[in-house]
Amino acid sequence: MTTRTGVAVTWVVGVASAILTAWLLWGLRGLIVPAFVGGVLAYICRPLVARLERRRIPRGVAAGLLLVTFASVGLAGLTSLRAAMPTEIEALEVRVRALHALTRTYRTVMGLDASWTRGNRFYWLAHRDLDPLVDRVVDVLALTPDERAQLVASRSKLLEQERANAQALAIRAGRTPRGEVAVRTAGASSTSATTSAAQDSAPALGDILSTWIIAPLIFLFLLWDSGDLKRGLLSMVPNRLFEPALAVLADIDDALGDYVRGIFLECCALGLTVLVLLAIIGVPVRWAVAIGIFTGASNVVPYMGFAAALLGGLAYALLAEEVHPLIPLVTPETFAIAVIVAVALAELVKNVVYEPIVLGGSVKLHPLVVVVGIIGGATLFGPAGMLLAIPTITVVKVLVASSARHLTAYGLI
Amino acid sequence: MNAKLAFSGLKEIRLPRRAGSATTFARRARSLFQQPETLAADRASLVEFLGQVSLFADVDRRDLVRLARIVHAREYADGESICEEGRPGVALFIVRRGVVEVVRCAAGGEETSLVLLEPPASFEESAAVGAAMTRWFSIRARGPVSLLALGKSDLDALMVGSPALANKVLIRLAGIMAARLQMLLDAELAAEFNLEGRP
Repeated sequence: MTTRTGVAVTWVVGVASAILTAWLLWGLRGLIVPAFVGGVLAYICRPLVARLERRRIPRGVAAGLLLVTFASVGLAGLTSLRAAMPTEIEALEVRVRALHALTRTYRTVMGLDASWTRGNRFYWLAHRDLDPLVDRVVDVLALTPDERAQLVASRSKLLEQERANAQALAIRAGRTPRGEVAVRTAGASSTSATTSAAQDSAPALGDILSTWIIAPLIFLFLLWDSGDLKRGLLSMVPNRLFEPALAVLADIDDALGDYVRGIFLECCALGLTVLVLLAIIGVPVRWAVAIGIFTGASNVVPYMGFAAALLGGLAYALLAEEVHPLIPLVTPETFAIAVIVAVALAELVKNVVYEPIVLGGSVKLHPLVVVVGIIGGATLFGPAGMLLAIPTITVVKVLVASSARHLTAYGLI
Repeated sequence: MNAKLAFSGLKEIRLPRRAGSATTFARRARSLFQQPETLAADRASLVEFLGQVSLFADVDRRDLVRLARIVHAREYADGESICEEGRPGVALFIVRRGVVEVVRCAAGGEETSLVLLEPPASFEESAAVGAAMTRWFSIRARGPVSLLALGKSDLDALMVGSPALANKVLIRLAGIMAARLQMLLDAELAAEFNLEGRP
């Protein structure tokens, strides 16, 4: 085979491999998040397994112990979540309360009169954009006739609010064609959604379970591995690239390990801070814990932790009827402002204390790169892309920088 | 050959016989690649082979099994370069099969063959401890060669996972490097004495 033919074959094989890899990634994108979660947990737990190994516990047993621990914690979490889940009537009451609070707040902020047609200056400026949004939320929250009958039969304390909601909806329905559609379809869409959800729940749960089964497998495999993966990878490298590849792999391992462990600690610290601050301003501990966990989990995607804390806190502020703050100055009227201040304070602590100390210099990315990466990841792979954007950018950055450095040092470029 | 400087793995010293300086070069070369202890010749399996490497002389079988899981097996063809002079190193190598040749470029560009190494010789120990030194010699395969490589990153991981084992290896590494330094000094002093015509 001539040199030119050899080069052509190499190019064809390379391009075909790249296309195949892209096709596989796209086809298996549903597995990306479970695989990522399993991998991240394994990375976090590697020092723990090493510690257990030092105590003469075999690596496989140590990995199994950690898996059992995670499974137990997960099961306990699910059980407590199920216990905390509202009953059917309680769920209806939450929707009634939320709708009541929403319409009341919207009406107050917009200065709307009884006919909902005249408002303040802000209303005239923004109502064309805000009304469809409010209508969409109303679509979700409004009760169907069946649900209303169910609520009446339960002799709920919120019947008065539900009547006020129905009245407000009727006024809105008379005011805009969109409102008519909203009221007319609310029942049908909710009913059909409930029915289809009930019908689809079994297969959907099966799909989720079959997809997520890969997470513990990857977790176990990565923790059990004592170097075979790395050796296998390096065995494919030509001899002249062996030492540079060893050095580059070590750099990537260091960077990824620092990032994963750093972000895990930062998420835990941020979740705990939000929990404490929200509890101080009067959010019940049960809800503060839920918002804290939600915030911590969302913080894996940059800037999302702040958004999650703000949304969670404000959602509670919207629904809360009374608050019991541990500090003065927080009243039901100023509660939303207190939530904003608490979340801003948590974000400030994260940026000033946690990021420099916990995350250190493991990720030094320009904010523009972070934003573009997240949007690009979300566009290509949805939530999985958002989740993986920063670790991927980090790995690519280290891969390029380290490869260039080591290949130059070895005189290969 | 002086019994004190004999070691397994040093197959042949191949320095040019120049009047006065050849012995000095030979002594230097032997000092740098000498294994402090003589080991048995049984190489039936990787674990057994690792047990014969002086670097792992204090390591028990269970830890040898662990080491066998982290070392990288590399195969080299005849004449293939293993290490290049002037380049950094990130791994130490152990000769498992075959013979490797250590060469050094002279000022004029011509290569001088220093020594031949055979199993279970090791080289580039300073790279494994992250000494960040550039190599002053090149090594290439003489015939088909099997090597085992232990990277600095592998040793770092060993320090986290099995500090006791890593300590044994590091102490041994330090011992080997110290012994080589001592022998190099001895060789230097002996050469100076010889050149000056003193006993």
